[in-house]
Amino acid sequence: MAQLDPTALDLQLAVPKRGIRVGRIRVPGWLALLLRNRKSRAGLFIVAFMVFIAIISPLISVAHPNDFNLLATRQAPSWHHLFGTTDQGSDVFSQVVVGARRSLLLGALAGALATLVAAVLGITAAYVGGIVDEIVNLLTNVFLTIPAIPLLVVVSGYLRTRGMWTMIAVIALVLWAFEARILRAQALTLKNRDFILAAKASGEPTWRIVFGELMPNMISRIAAAFVLVFYISLLVDSGLEFLGLGDMSATSWGVTIYWAQVNSTVLQGEWWPFMFPSLALGLTVLGLVLVLAGIDEVSNPQLRADRKRGRLAALLLGRAAA
Amino acid sequence: MRWFARRLAFYVFAIWVALTINFLLPRLMPGDPISGLLQHLSPAQLAANPGIVQTYEALLGGGHHSIWADYVTYLHRISHFNFGISTSNYPTPVSEVVGRTLPYSIFLVGVAFILAFLIGTGIGMVAAWRRGGFTDSVVVPAFMTVSAFPAFVLALLGLYFLGLKAGWFPIQHAYDSSVIPGWNWTFVSSAFRHAQLPIIAIIAAYTGGWVLNMRTVMINTIGEDYVGMAHAKGLKDRRVMTRYAGRNAILPPLNGFAAQFAGAVGGLVFIEIVFSYPGIGYTLQSAVLGNDYPLAQAILVVLSVCVIIANLIMDVLNFVLDPRLRTS
Amino acid sequence: MSAVATKTLLEVKGLEVEYGRVRAVDGINLSIAAGEILGLAGESGCGKSTVANAIMQILRPPARIVGGSILFEGEDLVGKSTEQLRKYRWRNVSMVFQSAMNALNPVMRVGDQFVDMMQAHEHVSKRRAIVRAGELLELVGMDKGRVRAYPHELSGGMRQRVIIAMALALSPELIILDEPTTALDVVVQREILQQVEALKRDFDFAVVFITHDLSLLLEFADRIAIMYAGEIVESAPAAQLAESPLHPYTQGLLRSFPPLTGPRVRLTGIPGAPPDLREPPSGCRFHPRCPYCLPENAALYLRQTSERPRLRMIEPEHNVACHLVDA
Repeated sequence: MAQLDPTALDLQLAVPKRGIRVGRIRVPGWLALLLRNRKSRAGLFIVAFMVFIAIISPLISVAHPNDFNLLATRQAPSWHHLFGTTDQGSDVFSQVVVGARRSLLLGALAGALATLVAAVLGITAAYVGGIVDEIVNLLTNVFLTIPAIPLLVVVSGYLRTRGMWTMIAVIALVLWAFEARILRAQALTLKNRDFILAAKASGEPTWRIVFGELMPNMISRIAAAFVLVFYISLLVDSGLEFLGLGDMSATSWGVTIYWAQVNSTVLQGEWWPFMFPSLALGLTVLGLVLVLAGIDEVSNPQLRADRKRGRLAALLLGRAAA
Repeated sequence: MRWFARRLAFYVFAIWVALTINFLLPRLMPGDPISGLLQHLSPAQLAANPGIVQTYEALLGGGHHSIWADYVTYLHRISHFNFGISTSNYPTPVSEVVGRTLPYSIFLVGVAFILAFLIGTGIGMVAAWRRGGFTDSVVVPAFMTVSAFPAFVLALLGLYFLGLKAGWFPIQHAYDSSVIPGWNWTFVSSAFRHAQLPIIAIIAAYTGGWVLNMRTVMINTIGEDYVGMAHAKGLKDRRVMTRYAGRNAILPPLNGFAAQFAGAVGGLVFIEIVFSYPGIGYTLQSAVLGNDYPLAQAILVVLSVCVIIANLIMDVLNFVLDPRLRTS
Repeated sequence: MSAVATKTLLEVKGLEVEYGRVRAVDGINLSIAAGEILGLAGESGCGKSTVANAIMQILRPPARIVGGSILFEGEDLVGKSTEQLRKYRWRNVSMVFQSAMNALNPVMRVGDQFVDMMQAHEHVSKRRAIVRAGELLELVGMDKGRVRAYPHELSGGMRQRVIIAMALALSPELIILDEPTTALDVVVQREILQQVEALKRDFDFAVVFITHDLSLLLEFADRIAIMYAGEIVESAPAAQLAESPLHPYTQGLLRSFPPLTGPRVRLTGIPGAPPDLREPPSGCRFHPRCPYCLPENAALYLRQTSERPRLRMIEPEHNVACHLVDA
């Protein structure tokens, strides 16, 4: 569900090489840059907050998320149960907070795997060219044409077990195409730069050029790719769980929403079992989208609200303002 | 023209890949594919559907021959649109089930996605033109936030607030249960009314992406010389925004339309389920949950073909709208 | 070259334009008489295009006019309403943009772009407008059938002609040429400029010719103004400027290209680079690059580094802003 998709970008030029000092702490260049931009700063805070919650979840969850208490079913939010209870009496707050762990972890891992595949395939295809490039291109386009969700639905249907690692593998195998195209495009621009030609001329093997020269110079773009695939994985995974096709024994946001839907709680006016996990999910995705938008703005000065710097650069570089 | 031929060739190839995946999936599971499938069924289901073993065998192209022979038989069957019998709707053939449900989905996604595109690019255009204005600082972030929520969440929200609480829209199914489908006004108007919430949900989910995309492209376009010249020529502001900047800025998002369509098809599945809307997405889920593999696989192929057709339409539209592509 | 100029068409007084907090144009005075060709020369980034955009009133944020006035036929443009400015644009002053490649809308036919502009200013039917567009194209030496062409179907030179034809369409009193030939090869350059001259004879408009190529101005302009770092440092009739340039920058510019005739001269450029306008040099902005700014001449040096020279009339029609000349 690639609802929000940034344009291609090149962050390389904007990152200060050696980072910035804040008091005694040395902040890496890229982080300083992202913190300076309003959008990515907000996004980073949101994501950091969610990760923090996930980490401390055992400390703050009041009860075990799967504990059920038939005497306290379907209760609206109260001081005792901050987010209310499900139709089986489980505490929704605990479910959301503990569920964050699995949802975020799975999204991150699936995103990482998909990004890795996309980077390796895309960059290698760009560098090597020829038939390899054609094949990878073909593969990428095919996976972009066959709709991802229906494909995942059918594949999940065939799976005997739907454990976490299986889901990660399956999701990554379908989503890699999203970024492969963009990474390939950027690798193409780097392919004929002097440092690559020099490495080639000095006899470096292909794999070493791809991993040792090209990838390190595309780190910013790869990072942006990861953020995108991360949030798409989040959406896809919770979507599959919502359909009853994910790992239904785990505690995660999608599963909670699934039970809310299946038990028709919404139709009965009980909004809390679905609203809170949805908010958590939406907030996390929003945070990631903001980070991405911030990265976009940093590498394309024209997009910034504060356009003074962009115009100044144009002015000083002598470009005639038409 | 050569470019078209290449695209068509690719699309045919993509369909072939979808078909092959369909063919291979059951076989990739360890063990005998048929018993693997049967394992998912309960004894009650087996008893209720006596012909099911034969159906599966037919699906897998025979089951007792070499894999290549099976494959050929399979492809041959597909070329005659024979997808087998739907086990969950035994003895209805799959093609009939699909034919019954597909039109509803096409109606939904067609109307909603196009509207989302038009509204989204319109907002993006205006937001970029008046940077820092109301559209840019309020409407754009609002859409961004809304679109961050997955489609099924928005559908649920719509169901709850607009359908249940406010009672403005019917909340389930494609048409009133008292109405009989047919080409008469009662049915058509009922169908339209029931489609409103799903359409609103789709629009809410997908407009944000277009807004952001168009805004970015438009900002870059505004810096182009021909926009400056149009301004210098003394043209009215709105005309420069639409015919000069907008008309050029819309081309990249239009290209992205086809790519996004695959994602929209995915979202459709969720929305249909939330609203119990009997379209092809809803049918897909019930098929998978009911282990009706012939139906599920057929739907996957059909959806891929839909995406491809959307791609083709976009290719043609692009050709029409961008004169630069027309020079031989 | 021209008769004695009688009417002052456009007068720029003390114009100041800022991009954010950077002052790109810092107090410019110019005047253009009806039918005269004024050349505006200077290096990239000196602010000449900004002046052009200010005259056309098409400056885009963050650029804005913060001081001074631009008087067209006696009326100040700064402070006019949006609608008044819209009517003023193109009808009174039009512009030929630098890169015709990009100045035409790629998805509209050439003729429609004429029609657009005409209908924005007058009540004409589309048919009549297309006919007029065709006539204008013929004026610049193109086949009138080209009204149906898309910009990408035309060559660079043809596109430039289209832009010129468009600039003439409403018979403005002043046409600004912003580096009209920079993107073209020398042969085409010449053709275009001769075309402009011929058109000027028929239509009698004034011209502001902006370029970094001083040699072109010496040939085509009546008067020339030299800009440096956002200021006018010298202005004079073309012949006088060539014969007796007074400002060291002008002298440097003239020495930068060889004369076609006459004895061989050693070419010298101007050492250094234009200043960063965020922090311009104190006093005379040219002083870091000026061969006559030497610490040995203590008193003069002090003035050069602390006091901004003002534009003063040294000879009739010849203004210079330079401490050397003042001394």
